[in-house]
Amino acid sequence: MTAKRARSVFLFLTLIVMATASVAQEKPRETLPPVDSPYPAPDFELQGEDGKTYKLSDFRGQVVVLNFWATWCPPCRFEMPSMESAWQMLEGKGVMFLGVNVGEDEDTIFEFTGEYPLSFPLPMDRDGSVIKAYDVVGLPTTYIIDPKGRVTHRAVGSRYWDGPHIVDALRALLKKN
Amino acid sequence: MGSRFVLSLIGALLLTESAAGGTAAVATTGIDEQAKLPYWQLANKYMSLRLVQRLPDQSRGFFQARAFSKEHAERIAQSCVFQTVFKNLSNQSDPSPLEYNMREWVVYSKGRERGMKTREDWATEWQEAQVAQPSRIAFEWAMMPTRQAYEPGDYNWGMSMFNLKPDTPFDVKVVWQQHGKTHNAMIKGIRCAPDIHPDPEEYQ
Repeated sequence: MTAKRARSVFLFLTLIVMATASVAQEKPRETLPPVDSPYPAPDFELQGEDGKTYKLSDFRGQVVVLNFWATWCPPCRFEMPSMESAWQMLEGKGVMFLGVNVGEDEDTIFEFTGEYPLSFPLPMDRDGSVIKAYDVVGLPTTYIIDPKGRVTHRAVGSRYWDGPHIVDALRALLKKN
Repeated sequence: MGSRFVLSLIGALLLTESAAGGTAAVATTGIDEQAKLPYWQLANKYMSLRLVQRLPDQSRGFFQARAFSKEHAERIAQSCVFQTVFKNLSNQSDPSPLEYNMREWVVYSKGRERGMKTREDWATEWQEAQVAQPSRIAFEWAMMPTRQAYEPGDYNWGMSMFNLKPDTPFDVKVVWQQHGKTHNAMIKGIRCAPDIHPDPEEYQ
């Protein structure tokens, strides 16, 4: 192989690597996958880091964005600002956000919210019983629950929750029911 | 630049993917920008799997901060931990759910084959060792799921453990299902992180 040909092959391979890397590093998509068939969301009652008690069925009639997360989980941290931004847009408009923290205590969450200010409720699933009642296998996982209390969508991994596609989908779910 | 270099580069970049008709997955390696540590990645248009080295000291620190004893944190640290990111890159215009089960993956090292050490394997150990529940919960959710199904746009981060000593070289056969087919691909020349003690400010 000549040096010129070798350089061409090297350039070609470099382009392949760059293209592959750009695919792998792309930002999370605004997909909100529907579940095959909507099913009743398991009810729960948990204490929030604010000291209040949150019961899922109390939010019947609203769309609920039910997010399972932990402070040490990088994609959970990544999506929290957009979740807060979506909450700011939708608060009081029939959409409730619940960020269920898995396995951590008030102090840890308090420290986290110093860095990531969050104003929606953060119920604490200290013993992991609620996350087990849902079919979560990795964090973060977010369920969308319709006003009738049925799970209609599940997103595994972070999303831009304040993106127009997702915000419109949440509004549409409210109108549909 | 000689032809041998180019051929070795081709060998490092391309790998065989045995599923007929699938878009071949390409393996690459480099330094992860965030972790500043080596990664090995397998990717095509529809999926990507990235394994990023985690230093034993990082695992010691993480798990001791979650109330694991020094002995147990050491056991984890010596188990060849990788930060793992698996993504379904298919989009809504060409949606293709993706599934994997780590129990189908095979680790090749020093002429031997072995399976991954999953979070269920560890859960049994922690229960026998009577590790406190908050620590067990933190461990379970920090681990990469053993099995997972991803819809378009879904992905997970988590630790995966290859159960090898620090600085050990190995290959792994990755198996996943997408487009109604089972895909197999080898990632060669991976290496467990060495047990070094870096400046804490250098690695996040």
